[in-house]
Amino acid sequence: MEFEVQENQANNSIQGIINLQPQVNQVNQVQVQQQEIQIKQTDIQVSSTLEESVAVTLLRDLRQIGIKLRCVLVPTMSTDNARELRNWDLWGPLVFCLMLALTLSLSGNNDDGPGIFATIFVLIWVGSFVVTLNAQLLGGKVSFFQSVCVLGYCVFPINLGALFTLFFQFFYLKMFLVIGCFLWSTYSAVGFMKLLIPEQKRILALYPVILFYLFLSWFALIV
Amino acid sequence: MDFGIQNQTDEQQQANKESSNQNVNEGNKKQTGFCAFLTVEFYTPYFNVTETDVIQRIQGTFLPLKPDFLNLIRGNPDLWGPIWINATLIFMITAIANLRQIDEEKENQSFVISYVPQATALLYIIAFGTPLVLAAVMKFLGVDLSFFQTICLYGYSMSTLLPITILCYFQNELFLWLIIVYGFANSSLFLIINLKEELDKLQIQKKYIIIGIVVTMQLSLYLFYKLVFFSYVTE
Repeated sequence: MEFEVQENQANNSIQGIINLQPQVNQVNQVQVQQQEIQIKQTDIQVSSTLEESVAVTLLRDLRQIGIKLRCVLVPTMSTDNARELRNWDLWGPLVFCLMLALTLSLSGNNDDGPGIFATIFVLIWVGSFVVTLNAQLLGGKVSFFQSVCVLGYCVFPINLGALFTLFFQFFYLKMFLVIGCFLWSTYSAVGFMKLLIPEQKRILALYPVILFYLFLSWFALIV
Repeated sequence: MDFGIQNQTDEQQQANKESSNQNVNEGNKKQTGFCAFLTVEFYTPYFNVTETDVIQRIQGTFLPLKPDFLNLIRGNPDLWGPIWINATLIFMITAIANLRQIDEEKENQSFVISYVPQATALLYIIAFGTPLVLAAVMKFLGVDLSFFQTICLYGYSMSTLLPITILCYFQNELFLWLIIVYGFANSSLFLIINLKEELDKLQIQKKYIIIGIVVTMQLSLYLFYKLVFFSYVTE
């Protein structure tokens, strides 16, 4: 299959030609299909995304979440990562927050499931809010939702830690895993935040991030 | 070749640059107006500290007999200390109280997590509510201490609870009561000695009203601390 595409700057679209392979079926009929496709940018032409099926929309959102997750969690601060993170979205943080709250409240070890769910949920959202506000008040030039987005994505390793602790009972193994996940989360989040804060107030802005993930890791370990 | 994400990002970059320029300009002029206290810029001057400043201020609270603290903060009261010292305390209360409950014999032990909302409510009401009341009373009685200076003073006085919480891990009732009493004495002395300079300008009765409020609130804080969080003792 050949796929040849050109960008058309004039009307912001991409034109392309897809050559499908000649199909030879059993009665020796050869079909050559050639289609010319015009792909318009989906964010300018909204109607094209309204007409697609739900599965396509969900898959696209999931793919975006996956891309941002990879950017956030592989802590190399290249410019591609930085650009990707500017398209903040709150779906990812919501998904991870719900996953963490559900995992912890459904684990067998506690008698107050709904209380734990509520505590974790409030902790994550109010915590992100307060940590971001703190960074802004200290003079950091960080956009509010972008920071909430990154903090939410960095909750993912703690999610993994909570899932692992469901299956293992040996306390020291659990502790080791949770500490590893906490360090991973904190390293990613700190890597993002420290670029945006002036030099002498850096620790004042980063300490709340560390406290935030410490709190969540403690819950992942204890519950 | 980009599929439009690049364009959007450029536009967003432009918008971000513009809004951050606006923020810088607005931060320079003081916010006025009825709802000014709801904006971020109103509180920015109160976060004008560095790490060494904060450490110095916390150290000042452990030596209550040297009344340097008010001079340290008079020109530059900060809100970072009160907020994050209390947040650290909430985490430590949860952690230490849970650690105390560990029972080696029991499999699949469940831990109490209701400490988090309780501790949050208690600490933040005391750390921000008491200064509110105290500042109102002091303004009424004619003391020249601003609202934010009172909050700063109170917030940093909570830092005596930091080592006390860690020491509350031990199971000995007598030891716990001893350190609670020490903490109460330390923080009350800290508050009173630092307010003394201002209070000496007043009449005796007004002075004792304020000292009375301060001591009562500290007493209730420490009693609550001991009885609610750390009264569970395993045999």
